[in-house]
Amino acid sequence: MSVLDEPWIKPELMACCGAREIRDNDRVMVGTGFPTVAANIAKHIQAPSAVMMQESGVYDADPKRPAVSVGDPCLNPGAAMIGGLIEVMGMFLQAGWVDVGFLSGSQVDKYGNINTTVIGDYESPKSRLPGSGGASPIGALVKRVLIIALHDTRRLAEKVDFITTPGYLDGPGAREKWGLPPDTGPQVIVTNKAVMRFDDETKVAYLASYHPDSSVEEIVENTPWDLKVADDVHETEPPTREELRVLRTIIDPARMIKIYERRGYV
Amino acid sequence: MSKVMSMRDAVAEHVHDGDFLFMGGYICRTPFSAVHELIRQGRKDLTITRSNAADDFDMLIGAGVVKRFVSTFLSLGLYGLGRCFRRSIEKGIPHKIELEEYTNLSLPMMLMAGSMGMPFIPVKDMVGTDLMNIRGFMGDGKFKMIDSPFDGSPVMLVPALNPDVAIIHVQQCDENGNAQMWGIGGDCQVGANASGKVIVSCERLVSREVVGKDPSRTIVPDFKVVAVVEEPFGSHPGYTPGFYDVDLNFGYMYQAASNTVEDFQAFLDEWVFGVEDRTAYVNHYIERFGYKQFADLAAAFDYGYPVSYSY
Repeated sequence: MSVLDEPWIKPELMACCGAREIRDNDRVMVGTGFPTVAANIAKHIQAPSAVMMQESGVYDADPKRPAVSVGDPCLNPGAAMIGGLIEVMGMFLQAGWVDVGFLSGSQVDKYGNINTTVIGDYESPKSRLPGSGGASPIGALVKRVLIIALHDTRRLAEKVDFITTPGYLDGPGAREKWGLPPDTGPQVIVTNKAVMRFDDETKVAYLASYHPDSSVEEIVENTPWDLKVADDVHETEPPTREELRVLRTIIDPARMIKIYERRGYV
Repeated sequence: MSKVMSMRDAVAEHVHDGDFLFMGGYICRTPFSAVHELIRQGRKDLTITRSNAADDFDMLIGAGVVKRFVSTFLSLGLYGLGRCFRRSIEKGIPHKIELEEYTNLSLPMMLMAGSMGMPFIPVKDMVGTDLMNIRGFMGDGKFKMIDSPFDGSPVMLVPALNPDVAIIHVQQCDENGNAQMWGIGGDCQVGANASGKVIVSCERLVSREVVGKDPSRTIVPDFKVVAVVEEPFGSHPGYTPGFYDVDLNFGYMYQAASNTVEDFQAFLDEWVFGVEDRTAYVNHYIERFGYKQFADLAAAFDYGYPVSYSY
């Protein structure tokens, strides 16, 4: 049996959903894991001229093994440019040159705001999380933010406990009021159950497609805001044979993506 | 005049209780040898900063040497969460550190401003988020919002940072302190140059003549440097490009140890208090894990095209 005949798993579908958001010539800020896999699928299919960068200072790396952090040594040899945070976060991101950023978070709300700071009260938190790192500036300043999240009523929220990274903040006009660049913000939330997009008028995430083993009813039930459903809501297209070929034979022959199943992406 | 000395002397002479320290590194070139020496000498009440802190800052916090942290992030990445950091914030063990939280854009910009002698700098991030609603020990001085004097649009200003001391680890340095680095930079160059004085730890000491063969690689000039420490393997379990790889086994071992106060203390007893310096640390590593595991970390050689500055 060919490796392509094995049934697809949810993390593979999510990576493909992320990949389909990337356009040719996009400049993409990635971390590790899902974002890198998704951007690489896109490069092999519809976006051969997309380029990736890591906030640590790396532009257009050519790693010979999967990078396990944005500072991984395998990102150094072969890159087109290595600088530091001032170059990538300042000269590229803040100056407005980055098209796409991938983000994930412990908590994501209906406006696409992301919390990676605390669960509970800031002064005496139930859980202290790592903090912003590069997420907040990426969420503020790239043109299109792609959000990866687990789909349940704990990870998704009507309102996050703490806005670390700005989505549409408290609704229409808020990003503009704070002086964030025009025409920027979250584009999509890809979860293990669905693809949600943001309404142009209300800036609230709505259901665009449900994954093959899920349903509109299940997703509405597991989404803690009044989830609107697109008129043309449909089943998410499963990974194509070409996407699986790229993913399993070129990008991730060791199938490292399976670790996401253990992290709940099922 | 040579500034070469041991890490013990460098820390004893140049880092004092209550100092504000920039510690370089971004998984790469973490000055771990200095981290261990700060703990061994029992420094207290330090303020520490760097973008994207990891296991080194977690260890300093767990060991109780930190009072304040100008932070953007602290996680052990692949290995897991920063347990000492979480115990400090959630449970006050060994004590609750004070935070001032920024981002991986604003903090490097603040260090850059400091490195250039500027009083403050505008940044485009943080606006509208809850990072504006939390102010720690810097109080009103954390940031200011103004209307741009040029076009009236809202602008966030953040203050320059000027740490008392920077400690960085680089590939090579001459005996006066001209420090040369290559590979992922993080905020190392701006952090070092923002600081009042710099301690350079390096994989190898080289002559001034070698520095002059490729002077574009120098990130800190000798006049800012007060101590040069030749410390091979000095950023282990992090890596130094061209010298050795990340030690994933050791990283996981630290993370597992940091899960409880007792195991964390046992880790310090073995790897920090149980060895007198970096040489003893490396010897202990080889005794404990065997020479093969040590040698396997060594980087391959893959030289670039030699550069020429001739005219």
